[in-house]
Amino acid sequence: MEDMYIKPGNQERGWNDPPQFSYGLQMARGPKRSLLNKRAAPPVSDVEAPSLIPPSSDPLAPPPRGVAPPPPPADRPPPGSMAMLPPTLGPMESSRGSNSSQSETEPYVEDVMMILDQALAACRQTVRDQICNDVSKRLRLLEVSWITGKLSLPVRRRMDTLARELQSGHWDSADEIHRSLMVDHVTEVSQWMGWRGGLKRLNQAEKMSDGRTGLKIERSLPEATGSSD
Amino acid sequence: MATYQEFIQQNEDRDGVRFSWNLWPSSRLEATRLVVPVSCLFTPLKERPDLPPVQYEPVLCSRANCKAVLNPLCQVDFRAKIWACNFCFQRNPFPPSYAGISEVNQPAELMPQFSTIEYIVQRGAPAPLIFFYVVDTCLEEEDLQALKESLQMSLSLLPPNALVGLITFGRMVQVHELSCEGISKSYVFRGTKDFSSKQIQEMLGLTKPAAPGPQGRPMPPQEAASFCKFLLPVHKVDMNLTDLLGELQRDPWPVPQGKRPLRSTGVALSVALGVLEGTYPNTGARVMLFIGGPPTQGPGMVVGDELKTPIRSWHDIQKDNARHLKKATKYYEALANRSAVNGHSIDIYACALDQTGLLEMKCLSNLTGGHVVMGDSFNTSLFKQTFQRVFSKDYNGDFRMAFGGVLEVKTSRELKVCGAIGPCVSLNSKASCVSENEMGIGGTSQWKLCSVNPSTTLGIYFEVVNQHNAPVPQGGRGAVQFVTQYQHSNTQRRIRVTTIARNWADAQSQIQHIESSFDQEAAAVLMARLGVFRAESEEGPDVLRWLDRQLIRLCQKFGQFNKDDPTSFRLSESLSLYPQFMFHLRRSPFLQVFNNSPDESSYYRHHFVRQDLTQSLIMIQPILYSYSFHGPPEPVLLDSSSILPDRILLMDTFFQLVIYHGETIAQWRKAGYQEMAEYENFKQLLQAPLDDAQEILQTRFPMPRYIDTEHGGSQARFLLSKVNPSQTHNNLYAWGQESGAPILTDDVSLQVFMDHLKKLAVSSST
Repeated sequence: MEDMYIKPGNQERGWNDPPQFSYGLQMARGPKRSLLNKRAAPPVSDVEAPSLIPPSSDPLAPPPRGVAPPPPPADRPPPGSMAMLPPTLGPMESSRGSNSSQSETEPYVEDVMMILDQALAACRQTVRDQICNDVSKRLRLLEVSWITGKLSLPVRRRMDTLARELQSGHWDSADEIHRSLMVDHVTEVSQWMGWRGGLKRLNQAEKMSDGRTGLKIERSLPEATGSSD
Repeated sequence: MATYQEFIQQNEDRDGVRFSWNLWPSSRLEATRLVVPVSCLFTPLKERPDLPPVQYEPVLCSRANCKAVLNPLCQVDFRAKIWACNFCFQRNPFPPSYAGISEVNQPAELMPQFSTIEYIVQRGAPAPLIFFYVVDTCLEEEDLQALKESLQMSLSLLPPNALVGLITFGRMVQVHELSCEGISKSYVFRGTKDFSSKQIQEMLGLTKPAAPGPQGRPMPPQEAASFCKFLLPVHKVDMNLTDLLGELQRDPWPVPQGKRPLRSTGVALSVALGVLEGTYPNTGARVMLFIGGPPTQGPGMVVGDELKTPIRSWHDIQKDNARHLKKATKYYEALANRSAVNGHSIDIYACALDQTGLLEMKCLSNLTGGHVVMGDSFNTSLFKQTFQRVFSKDYNGDFRMAFGGVLEVKTSRELKVCGAIGPCVSLNSKASCVSENEMGIGGTSQWKLCSVNPSTTLGIYFEVVNQHNAPVPQGGRGAVQFVTQYQHSNTQRRIRVTTIARNWADAQSQIQHIESSFDQEAAAVLMARLGVFRAESEEGPDVLRWLDRQLIRLCQKFGQFNKDDPTSFRLSESLSLYPQFMFHLRRSPFLQVFNNSPDESSYYRHHFVRQDLTQSLIMIQPILYSYSFHGPPEPVLLDSSSILPDRILLMDTFFQLVIYHGETIAQWRKAGYQEMAEYENFKQLLQAPLDDAQEILQTRFPMPRYIDTEHGGSQARFLLSKVNPSQTHNNLYAWGQESGAPILTDDVSLQVFMDHLKKLAVSSST
């Protein structure tokens, strides 16, 4: 899955910068494997010098000329396999079997924008103009970025999924995708994203579209959103 | 219970407690002879997915100066509906709601498995979480851009009803109004002037307009909060704030050549605290300070703006040549104490290649439970991911952070509490169980923890006060109760109560039992915390001498030996690792300042005195695993003899993860065997430590530095400086050529250290 990846740290700016884990990978952590927190016991109950000669080498042998190749695999299970990660957490692997909501095809900007615009239009009556206009401004920015090719494929795909989730009324899932976009692709999306509050409002407005005024909805938001999170 | 090890593990899992001794010596005199005090590491909010909180108030002992919480150690008369407090022996009637209790119908808090229990209590209105960003704009373009993006990103991780605020600073301090739409407005403060909290509130309109008096008078906090345009719910301002952050520019004031930018960190913090004090006192809040350099002007300035004057070093400090040190430290201590009084915690995210003044500012986080994160640049994954993890969530989807904690310790009569070491401040509560003898932050039985997370761990030190001629009757038990009140991140008020007991033992007839009850890991960390606490105020060599003396005395007390015969010296299993821990502690950056800047020392110590036992022990003695074709990965000695050509080593020092490829492995790797299908096993061998390192990287807070190196690589020094130098250039020929890697050092090895220790322990003259 393209939302599960590890990319190297920024070695230019940070000395020994650790690798960076994607949002999906951080969230999808499986059960913990055995932690590396054991210490080797000292040789005897009393602390003494470790044995002089390691068991695997002969100090009298001549230094090896060139390098002998690593031992070929035996019929026993490959060493080190104890520590292998389950396949879903493998590093840098992309495009595994797609049981996810990611679509394999190139998403269409028109489809995505249509859904988002519709959602916004549905709220026009109940949400203050100012907010709707703010959201609308961002949607236009998104559209422009998309059309002018400023958005990477993972971002476009995730936006597509987000729109679909929104369409099906899966607010929590849409919110989660929103969050993953902000965490993994903030440079690309920060300009036109940041309408999570807007998303919440759309959500609330839709739920409450029974003729109450936008202002009332506004006021009822803190409690309502607080409990839904 | 089969072994003490199992007992210790079970207690840690259930109660988050590790005691140095699990049998307690029954008199004061005997206790002092044990050298390591009766003490414990306590993790107040240890994650317990299997412990659902109960939805009622705890039942308290009715004696006014006791108020211990009903617990499984209390004797209960089910027929008379009376319980006897196990701390003061007061007999208390149960409240009416407990009328239905019987032997077969007991409330949870009486059941032995609920020695730790959590109550949800209904008190006051739920308070929102508050995040106040205080952002340095004297950054390089790239750093500022990365920081802005991280801040924008963080908005999406906050709960929608959390309140956010933004202060930016450089030469001036700007408090941004968030309520305005379309235009951005901010209040500007000069960075050189020290404003009082009241002045700040007046200037920001958080006081009532002047009616009769000459000045406005302060509004009650709720009212002020409703006026406050600086702290607003995320869901209302996230679009504005995202734009505002996106438009942030570098500090516009020109920086002449040879000068540092003028950075008003002190005033910026003071303004942030002033706003919070006026609007949300005693409410959980995080002030998050992001800095890219040292404060260079106004109160709290750490270094002048002349680049030719470098920031203080340990050398300057020792020579009493650090001009701003005392004044700046005093200033930040005052801010930290103010913040602690109001229950607000302060995080410092310092990203710069040079020092940023953490030494002077450390108290801001140490006293308030805030985080300190130190990195090279905001545009690193180290910062970005560490910052993300501040907002990580637990198995319930709640933030792993709690606020406004108050920890109270109650003890049975034979014990008194001497003090605590950890991210807390004293609440000066002089209960009868408080000892005269202070260890750490003492003279109180209550401490405030402004911010707590599930790994926050305190060292708590006790004193046995029973007189030698009137020891506790055999078979009796001493008890300690920890009562932690806090604001959960879901805004509930909660109280967690842990009650533990240990048997008393006569140190003369049962010394072997006491010895086998020794938890050497806990003891090492607890003694190390005492050492680090001392190191903050005493000279380094004095602390080492103190630590050495304690170790020698402990070995004299528990070692088996013939007088003046070092070769006869033996330690039992329960103490066998302790000298090793002390050996590595002596070499650690917590006690040695050589090769570290004052900021780095402060940073390492900050983390050391708050992590749980496992992490603390990793910091004292790093963990080393070896990967080879000879079998599954295995822990090996932290010793130069473990560095072998056909091994890959993974070392975890908490702050660094080092993967070291032995000489042969490195050559194979260079030759590209891992690419060949027939050497798939070699590829897997190379991958195994990477996978294990990832596991650690995904959970550690803060993110460690990550070092991938090999035999002869310059970065192999991280490994070489940590392993015990059992082979050095001095004794190389005695060792034979192929065994391990000689370390070019004159440091003493563990073997030499042990030889000296044995000599001193068995000597009749010490």
